Amino acid sequence: MLNPVLTIAIPLGLSFLSVILKKKRGWVLLAAACANVVMLFFLEKGEVVIGGFRAPFGINLILDAYALAGMAVAGTLFLAAVLVSRDKAERFSTVLLAALAGINGMLLTGDLFNLFVFMEITAISAYLLSSAGKKPEHSFNYLVLGSVGSVFYLLGLILLYSMTGTLNMAEMSRLAGSMEPAALAVPVFLIFTGIAVEAKLIPAGGWVRGVLGNSDSLTGALFASVYSGAALFVFGRIFADVLLSEGAVQIVLILLGLLTFAFGEAAAFRQTSIRRILLYSSIGQSGLAAMLFATGLIFPAVLVIISNSVSKFVMFTTAGKITEIHGTDDYRELGGLFRGNRLIGTAFTISALSLTGIPLLFGFYAKLNVLAAYFNGRNYFLPAVILILAMVEGAYFIRLLIRLWTPGKEGEEPDAGAATKGTGLFKPVGAAVVFILSMAILAAGLLPDHAGEFISSDGGLPGGDAPSINLSLTKGGQ
Amino acid sequence: MIRIASLLLILIGLYGIFSTRNIIKILIGINIMELGVNIFIITVGFVKDGLAPILSPDSLSSALNYVDPLAQALVLTSIVIGLGITALGLVFARKIHAKYGTYDLNKAGGGEDA
Repeated sequence: MLNPVLTIAIPLGLSFLSVILKKKRGWVLLAAACANVVMLFFLEKGEVVIGGFRAPFGINLILDAYALAGMAVAGTLFLAAVLVSRDKAERFSTVLLAALAGINGMLLTGDLFNLFVFMEITAISAYLLSSAGKKPEHSFNYLVLGSVGSVFYLLGLILLYSMTGTLNMAEMSRLAGSMEPAALAVPVFLIFTGIAVEAKLIPAGGWVRGVLGNSDSLTGALFASVYSGAALFVFGRIFADVLLSEGAVQIVLILLGLLTFAFGEAAAFRQTSIRRILLYSSIGQSGLAAMLFATGLIFPAVLVIISNSVSKFVMFTTAGKITEIHGTDDYRELGGLFRGNRLIGTAFTISALSLTGIPLLFGFYAKLNVLAAYFNGRNYFLPAVILILAMVEGAYFIRLLIRLWTPGKEGEEPDAGAATKGTGLFKPVGAAVVFILSMAILAAGLLPDHAGEFISSDGGLPGGDAPSINLSLTKGGQ
Repeated sequence: MIRIASLLLILIGLYGIFSTRNIIKILIGINIMELGVNIFIITVGFVKDGLAPILSPDSLSSALNYVDPLAQALVLTSIVIGLGITALGLVFARKIHAKYGTYDLNKAGGGEDA
């Protein structure tokens, strides 16, 4: 069995090595991404003490089923992104390797300040990646929001430290549980704002439009699935495990999630650029996941994150490639595009339909879990809102799909349109990766119980001083 | 007192960031804000008449009045991160200047559509 710390140390070490091995850095990156996925199968679950100081005095890493699920999603999609756009990824090898280390660290750490450090590593690599879009002003915007967010996070963290005297998550969770909820309100909101930047939630998601709206096949996939998936897992760790809120604070958090969800879906409906549709839909899904975490529904939230990350990966890489080849991603000009690219078209369609919650696809299982969990809790307002917004989502995705499959207007003779030029959006490897991921959505949708078991596979932890998220216990209704 | 001053610095920094569209001034705002947080962290660990948290012949007992060393360690890390962010921000500032010939975000097209 391997020590989980290796998943941080190896990419970080190779990141420095890749500076020296300039010629071979693409291979170093690929090897690290593959090794990261392979390592996931052999990691030893439980707590790792760093530096010989036991928690709560030292920093520890926690590998439970929740962290493992996060690492599996982020790691697999990271590898997929590197495989699909290897030429682009090679330029950013050093940055990407540091990002991988940061993401794994973020998901593993059991210490709030350590989390801050890993979030900064990830964020700085994200600023650098965003500069690939050739729009430095958007990267700068992102950097400003990111650093304001991190200052807020740090301030909230230090307030908590002065109240409880610890930075360890498990200890903090224990101490915060016995405190007045009102006393926690200020640090909770400060930390919320800090994480909201990366998780694309409403008070701090202003950078998304500029950065993701100009993303290419590599950065779009990374930002929309790898980074945002990891950030949401961190959000869940903090707000559904360490700082459980109740009363007014919880209601405000739920409302912020709901507002983000509604804003994202409504804004997506009005867009005509494929990437814009996708980015607003991503904001919406992040809001949904945050709302679920704030309500305490961990398993449905994890399903939503996984379903959204995989679907968005397929769709953003495709949209990025479309833009590179056709020079535009306005779907009105791309009628019939998928006729010449049936394989990718099918993958894109499966992903979009899964997000809208069509039965037999994984997204349906996720939505069903969300609704069942809310109904079990005798909550009928939030499911109603979710269903209405799901209809909006269905409407714009189906409009988009119809246009991309059928050239010309209804009843007219179809002209070749975009179908003739640019067959073969991807190189074979990229096409295979994208197609396999969409097949995974289909397979997981056909066998939802196996998928659910797989995700929540037993994460029992030794000792009582670990954060308490254990997916198999918090499973919602199915 | 110092604690209030540090919170004031954070607010000044925040105002600086959102009241101007000049890239360099925004970066200065970020730095003021980070400075405020760093001072705040130090005040959390401060103990009046406290000793340096080092075991020495003069202070052998752990029961003495030590200053909290953890806060200082946090500030060290936070300063380094702040430095990295500032450096990267300046790189973006140079890139924007090279592309648009201005340090004004409004003129650099940061506000309008992509």
